[in-house]
Amino acid sequence: MSDNLVELIRRHHGETAPTALEVLKEAIESRGAVTDDDRRRAAEVSGLPEAAVHGVSTFYDDLLQPRGRRHLRICTGTACFAATGGSQVAELSDALGLDLGERSADGSISLAETVCLGLCHSSPALRDGDLVDAGGDVVSRALVGQLRDAAEPAWRSVFEEPVLTRPGDWSGLERALRRLTPEDLLEEVTASEVRGRGGAGFPAGRKWQFARAAPGEQKFIVANGDEGDPGSYIDKQLMEVNPALVLEGMALAGYAVGASHGFVLTRSEYPRSKPALEAAVSAARAQGWLGADILGSGHSFDVTVLEGAGSYVVGEETALLACLEGLRGVVSARPPFPAERGLYGRPTVVNNIETLANIPFIARRGAAAYAALSPGASNGSKLVCFNERFARPGVWEVRFGTSMRELCEDLAGGVRAGLKALQIGGPLGGILPAHRLDTAFDFDALAAEGCMLGHGSIVAFDDQTDMRSLARHLLRFGAHESCGKCFPCRVGLRRAHEMFAAEAPVSRERLESLLEALELGSLCAHGGGMPAPIRSLLRHFPDELGLG
Amino acid sequence: MRLTVDGREVEVEPGSTVLEAVRRAGSAVPTLCYDPRQAPFGACRVCLVGLAGAPAPIAACTTPCREGMSIDTRDPAARRVAATVVELVLSELPQAPAPHTELAEVARSLGVCGTRFAGATHEVEHDERHPYLVLRHELCISCGRCVRACDELQGAFALTATGRGFEANIAAGLGGGFRESTCVSCGACADTCPTGAITEHTLLTLEQEEHP
Amino acid sequence: MSDRFESTVTTTCGYCGVGCRLEAHVTGGQVASITPASDGPANHGHTCLKGRFAHRFARARDRLTEPLVREGGRLRAVSWERALETISTRLGEIRAEHGPNAIAGLASSRATNEDCYVMARLMRAAIGTNNIDNCSRVCHSPTSFALRKSLGLSGATGCFDDIDHAEVAIIIGANPTQGHPVVGARMKQAALRGLKLITIDPRRIELADYGELHLAPRAGTNAAVVLGMAHVLERDGLTDPTFIAERTEGYDTLGELLEHYPPATVHEISGIPATDIEAAAHLYGEARRASIAWGLGVTEHKYGSEVVRLICNVALMTGKVGQAGSALLPLRGQNNVQGSSDMGALPDTYTAYRSVADERVAGAFEAAWGVPLSREPGYKVPEMLDAAVAGELKAMYIFGEDIAQTDPNSAHVVKALESLQFVVCQDIFENETTRYADVVLPASAFLEKQGTFTNAERRIQLVEPAIPPPGQARTDLEIIAAVSRALGHEMGYAGPSEVMDEIAALTPDFAGVSYERLGRRGLQWPVAPDGSDAPILYEERFSLPGGRARFAALPYKEPGDAVDEGFPLILVTGRVLEHYNAGTMTRRTGNLELVDRDWLEIHPDDAGRLWISDGERVSVRSRVGRVELCARVTERIEPGHVFTSFHFPEARTNLLVGSSADVNTSCPEYKVVAVDVRPMSERASTRPALASA
Repeated sequence: MSDNLVELIRRHHGETAPTALEVLKEAIESRGAVTDDDRRRAAEVSGLPEAAVHGVSTFYDDLLQPRGRRHLRICTGTACFAATGGSQVAELSDALGLDLGERSADGSISLAETVCLGLCHSSPALRDGDLVDAGGDVVSRALVGQLRDAAEPAWRSVFEEPVLTRPGDWSGLERALRRLTPEDLLEEVTASEVRGRGGAGFPAGRKWQFARAAPGEQKFIVANGDEGDPGSYIDKQLMEVNPALVLEGMALAGYAVGASHGFVLTRSEYPRSKPALEAAVSAARAQGWLGADILGSGHSFDVTVLEGAGSYVVGEETALLACLEGLRGVVSARPPFPAERGLYGRPTVVNNIETLANIPFIARRGAAAYAALSPGASNGSKLVCFNERFARPGVWEVRFGTSMRELCEDLAGGVRAGLKALQIGGPLGGILPAHRLDTAFDFDALAAEGCMLGHGSIVAFDDQTDMRSLARHLLRFGAHESCGKCFPCRVGLRRAHEMFAAEAPVSRERLESLLEALELGSLCAHGGGMPAPIRSLLRHFPDELGLG
Repeated sequence: MRLTVDGREVEVEPGSTVLEAVRRAGSAVPTLCYDPRQAPFGACRVCLVGLAGAPAPIAACTTPCREGMSIDTRDPAARRVAATVVELVLSELPQAPAPHTELAEVARSLGVCGTRFAGATHEVEHDERHPYLVLRHELCISCGRCVRACDELQGAFALTATGRGFEANIAAGLGGGFRESTCVSCGACADTCPTGAITEHTLLTLEQEEHP
Repeated sequence: MSDRFESTVTTTCGYCGVGCRLEAHVTGGQVASITPASDGPANHGHTCLKGRFAHRFARARDRLTEPLVREGGRLRAVSWERALETISTRLGEIRAEHGPNAIAGLASSRATNEDCYVMARLMRAAIGTNNIDNCSRVCHSPTSFALRKSLGLSGATGCFDDIDHAEVAIIIGANPTQGHPVVGARMKQAALRGLKLITIDPRRIELADYGELHLAPRAGTNAAVVLGMAHVLERDGLTDPTFIAERTEGYDTLGELLEHYPPATVHEISGIPATDIEAAAHLYGEARRASIAWGLGVTEHKYGSEVVRLICNVALMTGKVGQAGSALLPLRGQNNVQGSSDMGALPDTYTAYRSVADERVAGAFEAAWGVPLSREPGYKVPEMLDAAVAGELKAMYIFGEDIAQTDPNSAHVVKALESLQFVVCQDIFENETTRYADVVLPASAFLEKQGTFTNAERRIQLVEPAIPPPGQARTDLEIIAAVSRALGHEMGYAGPSEVMDEIAALTPDFAGVSYERLGRRGLQWPVAPDGSDAPILYEERFSLPGGRARFAALPYKEPGDAVDEGFPLILVTGRVLEHYNAGTMTRRTGNLELVDRDWLEIHPDDAGRLWISDGERVSVRSRVGRVELCARVTERIEPGHVFTSFHFPEARTNLLVGSSADVNTSCPEYKVVAVDVRPMSERASTRPALASA
């Protein structure tokens, strides 16, 4: 990202004043559209040049869809697709007489698509203003004004003493501040081998070490709450049900790394996440767990919560930092890595929400206890979530190494209409056919199947899903969310989608070239990962893809 | 530090990129989003080269040199992907790039004559409001060089990338063209544009005369 | 790129003192496009809209392509023989009747070193007078005077590259993003990377937005500001006593003077808060490497030359001169204003500022040119004009200058031109001055000739022709040699490179200069006989007897004009990005579309008080003249001040500027003109008028 733009913003206000993106969000939320006056004001307030603000205003989905007095957003994520094949979209669009992204002439109502609302346990989902509802009849209820907030998903753990579903109580931070030096804590976290839960699986301890060693007085902790994977609602639950645990993890990271401020980026598709976190921050400040000189330790830490504006790619760490700065959520080449040069050019640790939620346990009980949670498998525990196709959807805290069969059948009650295949870990995850259900749920075992553990979402498809449609659905998502910087992804995903959206058979040879270019050439894991599910489909369901 | 490029040893200063090492060694690697006056960007992926011991090709412009690296600029996977990328870029333009442009030269050097990937192309939109500069949006391949020239060289910050994904393009100011922006008409954007999307009126006329 | 064109010629830009290296691409006999040269030592592959795009003036429809002689009140096209004959006859008559000193010449600071050198030779050898000057008189002559007195050589002590090596830079009386765009851009990038800028200007220049500290002194109080900084440097122990002891003279006298300039006193004089003076001094003094750049906002004042000496004081007392990153950079305006003076197109010096009274030097030139030469210094430009009005000066040969538009007190200039018996103008277009010419000779633009320019870094760079002069226009070297021949003095040069060879042979500071050695990167003088040049001056010694620099203890004195009830605002004049000086070239290009007039910048407080709204036409009156301009209300100018440029003859801004000038060099005080501004209440008149009318 541009050093100069970041420097201009940093000089103008550092991390305290609104970003250009915040000003633009306020404009569309209160007035239904973004005007040039709004852009000029955003430039003045943030220090960002006007042209750059213009660029920001054309990047994020939330800013691009005009809003009527009633603004309906229908979810087109993979779980909602698995539930209905996408029929609810046409149903609503026809009933309203509006295309996706259109506002009625009189300004009374508008329709937009959104991905994903995090109600995958009761798909399909629909949002009316900030009311988020879900269910098979959600469209008809919307048309007669009978929407209500959907019921929360189940929130369970296989452990007698849950780790991640246990409410945060700040005991980990207390022990660390009273008994451990920052170096001790860093050693413990490194020894625990806790791997990033966002999908990359990078050892958190190593990331923290780089940040700690990087020169500079000012450092930051950033919690990646941009859980954009359709089908995944794990971080949503953590942020909304257990925010204190996440904040505790951030404060511990700050202690170990030498940072006194943290940011959380939440998603605008999860309207409750930011308020829940902010309430937890206030409570923590009041109780003395956040703020200056916590427990008289000399360590200060505070948190600012910011909300995104509709972009999947800002889940990638460099794009996320750009979004926090109010810039276009575009990926940057690495090196330099955020641990060396991150938010506002300062050393920054970017960790997934769930990763941070693991830290209090490690601080309280140590690395050995953490390893013992999943004996013979990767250390720690993992949250997984199941979609509506399962008999008992919801979030479960499970052990690594558990077989997929046990997860799907014992915990989630199996797929009502008969399982055809699973997509694990998000839209860039491989597809596991039903006959491979005995694969263990762990990093390497899944990788061997061409799948990934990713963020831990488990989306089941039954026989009503035909695989060519699934390929088309995934590629449409991939192309729409491409940040547009690197050429293979920017053009290649568009072409791949066109190939599967056309009537004609898909040329195997051309598809292979595209997949190779995406895998080997993409700048980040978005373009780089999109081939994985397609390759799974090619391997396991070639006849359904319409190849020529 | 020392490394090997295509079997030849070359010495570079610490902090150099693989691309700089490749060029110092006298090898050629095509680029589209690279401009030596700007920080490396890493968007085009055309500069991919093979690195011994790495699981996949690496982008030469954004990879720092390390002692003892062994680089192969003819790595087959790297060349295949680079060629595919150029095919993709050619496919998004409604017309072939003029022969004198960097894009056309890069295509020639990779042996790419056409594209297998026909599909949607950019909408034709010309902005000729400025007395000197012309912007032909349909030729923009979002390499970012113009935006970065205006940022890192001139410091006028008049240009920006717009849109997302395949719809990505560039604009001046709030979209009202160069004259309505902070542009100081230095022409650095036109100098660096590899497709002629930004050019000057006189050269556009020349192009039209060369290829009616 | 180059395969598309018939030819590509690398040359040096003819606009400003940055000296961008450019590639001119020619096809079908026209310059199709100009792009920056990536290996340009000053511009590093960048340039501004003037060098890049504003070249079509060279073939504008009203380009002079034939010699003209005034007959019956009108200029008529004639042959070269006829024009040359007219000149030699008339000048011969005037010289015979009134002596050679009744004739004066002006060399063009836009023309090449070779052109200026032969112009000086024309006046000295062919006519026999030292009445030769160039337009540096009205811009950086104070710099030249002061640097020679304080340090020894008349030029920047370093290069533009020093900006990249400095921790702190002071920019005083300059607006680089407008007047020296490529250097302004480099300063901006350096500031974003951490260079701390201190900007000192009554206007909040663009670079102030990227700087650490902006000081807005009342116009004309620069000396107090600099003395105040020096006071703080001395008081707070930020000086370099070793440097002072080993490499300078005169510090004690300065020290006594500085006691009178504590920040509180400076605040009273300049309006700048005392804390800002302290902060500026500390920023500069505590840096290991710090540079100072200045422009005409320092020099075009009654005591401009003194302020430059005071600036030198600050660098000398802290030892910040003579090393990379610590440079004194006068931002020379025109493309060859440095060179035109270096070449001796000055009334009192030959090349490299050696006095016309110096026997050894004069003798060398006499030997080279084969004629006796006067030892008496001649008229400076303002003296020429006064002498013309007084009837003592009878003729002028004006090469490449539009003094009726660009010199101060236009009414006086016009009177002078009207008083002369014979005026020759050598130029590329008719202009305000050619209205008074008896003979007009069609000259060449920078794209049409070979030669060299010297930029603000003392860098001599080659100029190569991309296209020939149009019609019957000739290169300036050919014209001047022909005039000289017609006057009986054959110069005998085969071409520009031989002129430079002679210059090198006669000038130790340029001894090693040759076209071959200049190549693509040029050479920064002094150039030793073996061709090694001098990017940084004064690394070991200063170029004064004894090798020591000299402090100057010069107190603050008030400017030549001041506000009063009748004229309550101070006018500052300057340039804008899109146009250059008289606008002769840029007004004949697409730049006119971008900026089509001179604007009067006025602060909202003043505009409010005077009932002036943005875009409204206003009348601006000074003690000597009146003009009409459109107002632009902006907070960039300090209250109590207004600003305008001078690019458009319709505006005739310089009608307002009086005769106040620098005490040592006669550089006009363009920057402090007391004016009255008011909205046009009656129908606008179209002709600017004299104050008394």
